[in-house]
Amino acid sequence: MNLATIPLLIVALLLLSSTHPEVDSVELVLTGPHQVDDQTGALIIGSAEVTVPADGRLSGPIYVIGGELVVEGAIDLDVTQLAGTVTIAPGAVIAGELHHIGGTQVVSDTATIGRQTTLVWVPADEGPIAGYLPMVALVLLLALVGSRLTRKRSAALGNVADAIAHHPVVTVTVGALLTLTFIAVFVFMAFTLILIPVAVIGGIIGLVTVAYGVIGWGHLLGRRLSHLSQSRATALGVTAFFVLVELVSWIPLVGDLAVIGALGAGLGAVVLTYYGATRFKPEALPD
Amino acid sequence: MTAGVITDRRFVTGVGYFIYIAVLSAGYYYNLTFVQLGMIDLGTRLVGMSRSDVSMVMAGMAVSALVVAVVTGVVMDRRGWSSELRTKFRLLFAVIALQTALTVLAPLVATPAQFVVWVMVCSITIGAGIPVTFSLMIDFIPIRHRGHVAAAVAGLAFFAAALYPLEWRIEEFAVVMVWAMVPAVAVLGLVSFRRFAFVDQLARQYQRFGVGRFCRPVPIRTASFTFWALVAVMFAVFFIDSLGFLRIVDTAAYISTSWQSPDVGTRLFIGVSHLVGAVMAGVLYMSLGRRWLMFAVLGLFAFTHLLYTSHLVTAPGGIDPPLVLPLFYVLAVSFYTTLNFALWPDLSTPANIGTHTALGVGIAGWLASFLSTALALYSHGAGWSLLTHLRYVNALALLLAVSLPVALYLRRWKTLVVVGDPR
Repeated sequence: MNLATIPLLIVALLLLSSTHPEVDSVELVLTGPHQVDDQTGALIIGSAEVTVPADGRLSGPIYVIGGELVVEGAIDLDVTQLAGTVTIAPGAVIAGELHHIGGTQVVSDTATIGRQTTLVWVPADEGPIAGYLPMVALVLLLALVGSRLTRKRSAALGNVADAIAHHPVVTVTVGALLTLTFIAVFVFMAFTLILIPVAVIGGIIGLVTVAYGVIGWGHLLGRRLSHLSQSRATALGVTAFFVLVELVSWIPLVGDLAVIGALGAGLGAVVLTYYGATRFKPEALPD
Repeated sequence: MTAGVITDRRFVTGVGYFIYIAVLSAGYYYNLTFVQLGMIDLGTRLVGMSRSDVSMVMAGMAVSALVVAVVTGVVMDRRGWSSELRTKFRLLFAVIALQTALTVLAPLVATPAQFVVWVMVCSITIGAGIPVTFSLMIDFIPIRHRGHVAAAVAGLAFFAAALYPLEWRIEEFAVVMVWAMVPAVAVLGLVSFRRFAFVDQLARQYQRFGVGRFCRPVPIRTASFTFWALVAVMFAVFFIDSLGFLRIVDTAAYISTSWQSPDVGTRLFIGVSHLVGAVMAGVLYMSLGRRWLMFAVLGLFAFTHLLYTSHLVTAPGGIDPPLVLPLFYVLAVSFYTTLNFALWPDLSTPANIGTHTALGVGIAGWLASFLSTALALYSHGAGWSLLTHLRYVNALALLLAVSLPVALYLRRWKTLVVVGDPR
């Protein structure tokens, strides 16, 4: 499975749960060519090529997040395209809505479509400064939170920073394991449909934890700026962390791995210190 | 570590590392491939028995191995053999010599009676081998490095098993195994019956390494709650493994993403994942307390099982499962195997390591497999569908996966935040 489709998969599941609460099952087609002529639940198309033949009739909604969908038969509910290619052949029938959000779409003039909508993206002015605006906003936000946390809970941030500095192997290992496991758990939960809210909340907690880890890194880097106040040093450290991440990520492969490792170390440090509530002390082992 | 050993001129200790990793990884590889897979091929294809009959014989082997392991372990402790390296070498020599003979004879087994006898003799060698090999840890490996060494053993054994390029047929196994075992028998015979200075030096190391990590400052008794709680948790891990996976992985669709896949790329992915998983497990073993280790293993295993059963229930027929399934399975197996190698010696002293390793590995490993195999056969005989069978396993897996880690984390959080314990 293409990892880039995971965010789209989550979006598709969210759309499904909000627009079709009556649907009680979902099928994900990941790879390879498939001919589907009968489907009652929802169908999500990953990197596969799916054809609905002329005599086929699907009564569940369809979400295209990659790959290709060719409709020659009939679909009773909506088709929502987030990416990939959708081809509506002559004579095909879509009784619901054909919703185009992204990807390539080819619709025959002789096809019957209940309703057709297209979400038009107005591209922002992608100048060199505008491109970095979200990043700058994130840096400012985390620097601000880091500065405030340093004033209010300096010891907690210190515990996170110490864990990163003194136990990098353990924190990276724990961070990597948690990331891998919880991404799988949340995607898995989302597939149950009922647990989508839990998966969303879990995802948000995960992102906040990663952000806390980044602030921990900022606190660690800020310690080297002894001439500044602690809170300013943390804010500057957070900024320095982002600059370093940006620079390192230019190195092919190794750079990306280093960035993932750094974020994993932050995440692992936060979890191992119980969000900074205690110092992480590995088991004392005799020689 | 090896570099440090060489710098310190403690070559002998380095030799101990090498011997331990070689013996345990080769032994585990033998168990993984020749015993687990080769025996099924021998019983079903060469002898012509049904799969369920072979399963019953293997279940008998598990019980027999457990009994032999416990008897051997207790005898080793009572006679002081657990802390006599040369005696352990001699026992190991006898075990491997007998296993070599069994391996040579394996392709000649032709009738069910011969098969049963062959399996039972095999179970004696496996049972005796458990306390002998697992107790070598106290002679060779300092506590500080047991996690890493256990990871090396598990990673190497699984990596080799995943990349093994031949068909899973007893004849080919036997040839390869005999070629590998004969030199090992010769070397073991040499160090067992002739005196070498380095062996004498290795034999004294248990005085420093012997008392396990969890036995300091107070040794854990065999009759203690701690010991049996850990046996129970490891039993649950092995039980879930056997009850669910042995039946699932037997399904044709999953073979393409297992270590029996014909695709080298898939096998390489699995082999490398085993190495990475073992290294992660080794790092965590050295850093975390035993309760967190246990629950990490249990949670990982239960979640993996859930992934497989859900895929089985929801995926359309004939579609290969995504590689995330074997990835988690491999991680889980590497975790519990690494833990299994390091845990029992760390729960022991030289006075009880034979008994503890025999009970730990025997009950958690062999008895769990026996019970789950018997239960799986019972469910099959009672007419349960695969789905019904898996629903029970799933319920168990879900319960363990969710409740235990959450309870543990909340308990610690309560201690830290509500009670205000600064530790």
